[in-house]
Amino acid sequence: RSDDDDDDDRGKKMPVRVVESNAAPQVSGNDPGNRSPLPPSSLLAAGQAFSGTQNVSNQQKEEAWRVNVQIQGVDLEHGYLCGTMEALNVPMADTPVITFWEGEIVDGKNYTFYTGKWEATREDDMRHWSKFPSFAPLQGQVESDGGRQLDLSNYPYIFMRWKEQYFVNVGTDCGLTIAGFYYVCFSCSDGSISGFYYDPNSSPFQKLELKTVNEGKSGFSFSSYELQ
Amino acid sequence: MYSEQLNLAMPTTTTSSSSFSSAASSSGNRQADVFSRLASPDPEVKLKALREVKNQIIGNRTKKLSFLKLGAVPAIASALSDSECNSILVQSAAALGSFACGFEAGVQAVLDAGVFPRLLRLLTSSDEKVVDAGARSLRMIFQSNQAPKYDFLQEKNMEFLFSLLNSENENVSGLGASIIAHACGTTVEQQVLCEAGVLEKLVILLDGSLSQREACLESLATVLKNNPEAVSRFVGLEAGRYLSSVTELTKDRYPRTRLLSCLCLVVIYNTSPSYFLNMGTKSSLVTTLLELLNDPGQSGDEAALGLSSLIAEKEDLQKLAYEANAIKNIVDILKTGSELHPKRLQGLFLSLAELCSKLEDCRCSFLSLEMLDLLVNALRHNNADVRTAACICFRNAARSVKVAVLGALSNIVLDFSSPKSTFIEYGGIKQLIELSKSMDPNTRCSALRALRNLMFLADKKRKELFYSEVKAQGFVSLISGKQSPLNHNHMIHLILQLTTKTKTYSSSDPEPTVQEQGLALLRNLVDGCINSIEFVFDEEGLILDTVGRQLRKSPQAQMAIQGMYVLTNVASGTELHKEAVMQQLFPQPQAESNNFMLKFLQSHESQLRSATVWTIINLISPSSPGALDRHVKLREEGIIPQLKNMVNDACLDVKIRIRTVLSQSMSFVPDTLIIPQVKAVRKSLYHYLYHS
Repeated sequence: RSDDDDDDDRGKKMPVRVVESNAAPQVSGNDPGNRSPLPPSSLLAAGQAFSGTQNVSNQQKEEAWRVNVQIQGVDLEHGYLCGTMEALNVPMADTPVITFWEGEIVDGKNYTFYTGKWEATREDDMRHWSKFPSFAPLQGQVESDGGRQLDLSNYPYIFMRWKEQYFVNVGTDCGLTIAGFYYVCFSCSDGSISGFYYDPNSSPFQKLELKTVNEGKSGFSFSSYELQ
Repeated sequence: MYSEQLNLAMPTTTTSSSSFSSAASSSGNRQADVFSRLASPDPEVKLKALREVKNQIIGNRTKKLSFLKLGAVPAIASALSDSECNSILVQSAAALGSFACGFEAGVQAVLDAGVFPRLLRLLTSSDEKVVDAGARSLRMIFQSNQAPKYDFLQEKNMEFLFSLLNSENENVSGLGASIIAHACGTTVEQQVLCEAGVLEKLVILLDGSLSQREACLESLATVLKNNPEAVSRFVGLEAGRYLSSVTELTKDRYPRTRLLSCLCLVVIYNTSPSYFLNMGTKSSLVTTLLELLNDPGQSGDEAALGLSSLIAEKEDLQKLAYEANAIKNIVDILKTGSELHPKRLQGLFLSLAELCSKLEDCRCSFLSLEMLDLLVNALRHNNADVRTAACICFRNAARSVKVAVLGALSNIVLDFSSPKSTFIEYGGIKQLIELSKSMDPNTRCSALRALRNLMFLADKKRKELFYSEVKAQGFVSLISGKQSPLNHNHMIHLILQLTTKTKTYSSSDPEPTVQEQGLALLRNLVDGCINSIEFVFDEEGLILDTVGRQLRKSPQAQMAIQGMYVLTNVASGTELHKEAVMQQLFPQPQAESNNFMLKFLQSHESQLRSATVWTIINLISPSSPGALDRHVKLREEGIIPQLKNMVNDACLDVKIRIRTVLSQSMSFVPDTLIIPQVKAVRKSLYHYLYHS
């Protein structure tokens, strides 16, 4: 919080704060066992909706599906979130296909940049994370010690893995696969999401790009619920 | 509790079964007749009558009640007091004991008849049978909470107690233990008893008869409960020999012994867990209690409560229980369909509640077993403890994010004509609204919370259904904290007798939390499609005015947060909506600067700062025509300048939003402005925003 003099908008000179460098944020002290969860981010909250495309191009053709995502629940304490993903104009399906996914938030407390499952090796992990420009400042540290000293709670991007768990409205014979998972980067400032689908048996780097949806409104709105 | 049927120490009495017929038609006459014979001066007649009554009432609650109503107890008490004949003393004492056994009205009647001192005197009789009968009878009385308060702190009473404990007669020593088990309440009493050496006396009973063992286990639990010193003393006796004995008894062949020893260990564990470092013991305790749950009798009833007490707040034990298949076992018992004792139901639901309190797997497991109907029935049970236990169970099971979401998701594929969704959509909402008007602030709060969650991402139909029941005035009352007349609905009321503690709740000031929930509910109502915003404009903007008024009243932070989100959501709408919000923020005329926005921006609560900034973001959203004018107004009122001071807010989310505002703000400053300071400001801001 600023502890400068109050600004007077009648033309006084405004004090300029020291600009933060763009280096990777560090935790002070080196206690990996005592990390806190990430702080809340308004646009990554239950009820928020996003819309965009998943690029499913391969050598044969260019194809993109329209995708809508809605966050259904967020539990920062456990680094957990979940939601639905709806894929439209999918050729094999005659209706939109909705899946339910669960996410792991890379917070250094519950989850790290290393997946450690779903047939993703460390190389796969690095290969995917490094495709996000906002990962660049962190890359060095992650490669050297897994990012143990990173303070992600001050970084305006949130990294996650999203894994679809099951189809909500169609059967498993709909012609689509949910065997893989997404590496996801969420921008706290404008809520934009990019992701890469990883599945050893599908064409690589299918890109997901989403922006927040405001249902035709001019601004952002927020709902909330409370678990007792 | 002490079951008459299992009283192995009771001497057999000869019953002349032909002396009463089972013909129903004559039973009324016989009953009246027996009274006159009870009062007979002829000891033989009196004795026979006493036997008759006693035999009829043993284990028969209905008979006890009917005899009671006819005044049998005073009549028998007279027989006891007036006689010196041993047989009569034995039979009348036994009859009185039966009346008192497991029957509170009976205990009351016996005490009211003033016969307690007489029963005590029987203990000094030279006739063994008389002593026995007196001791057993007194033991029944001491099972009840109505038993006379036994003052352990009085020297004489302590001597008497120890004389009982020292007796060779097992009914008498058992009585001593029973008195302790049921009358020892405070730490002081526990202390006094321990110092007088009661533990050393009690443990001798562990090696005695079945009935002595059981009495000992019960009384040990009472003396040790929550008293680390007493526990330490007990464990220290003969280097832990008796702790081992009690542990061994958990494998005894009698279920009641197994139960009582388990309950004793539960007490010790809850008081001083360090004596149970061995996982094996903990595990075996859990599994023994789980097995006892299947006992159809009293032991099973108490095992359920014992289990819930053992695993309460202990995640490691909950895990053990879960791995031992506790959830499935308990649910199977609940589903048997037979009428279960309220104590058992309470214990089972509390155990489920504890299992679901922390472990996500438990919740998912529980909810996958289709318990909804059972739970709803339990919420309607006529026993308050059962209802409460079911509520807590319900609440804990619904606590997981995943579960809440899956519940909501099921609506995507659910047919809306199915009974469960009908409950929610139509019946449920109406009833919740009724409850939101309850006199009890906890109920009001819980109802509102449930409604708020129901309105989360609700579709138009559900929102309209809800609004049509509440209307503008309903919201106004809610948000302004005015009470409505008492209005109950039994079933849902029970669902909502949930937690009595919330973070912001204080019993002396319930209204702010209710108002907070009301505003949160409103927030959800106006989110979603742009038409939802219209709700706050109903009746000439009554609701929006009320929100503004509340915000101007210096509300608590949590309430302010919800209120600002209402404004944020409204401000995401059309020009008219945004202008209406401006009206609420800066009502005219303003006598003095009462700018609550500035106050909120300086709040310690980051969420409040965040919500306020979001309102601003929406008000100056570049896509709307009036944004520039609103920006000017915000600047004039000192809002934008305040934001400039906050570019390094400690909260990342707030910081990010402020940067958004300031970058939007940039687009409003006309290029033609030549004031040098403004140019300098623009330049440094630009540098800051785009090069950091």
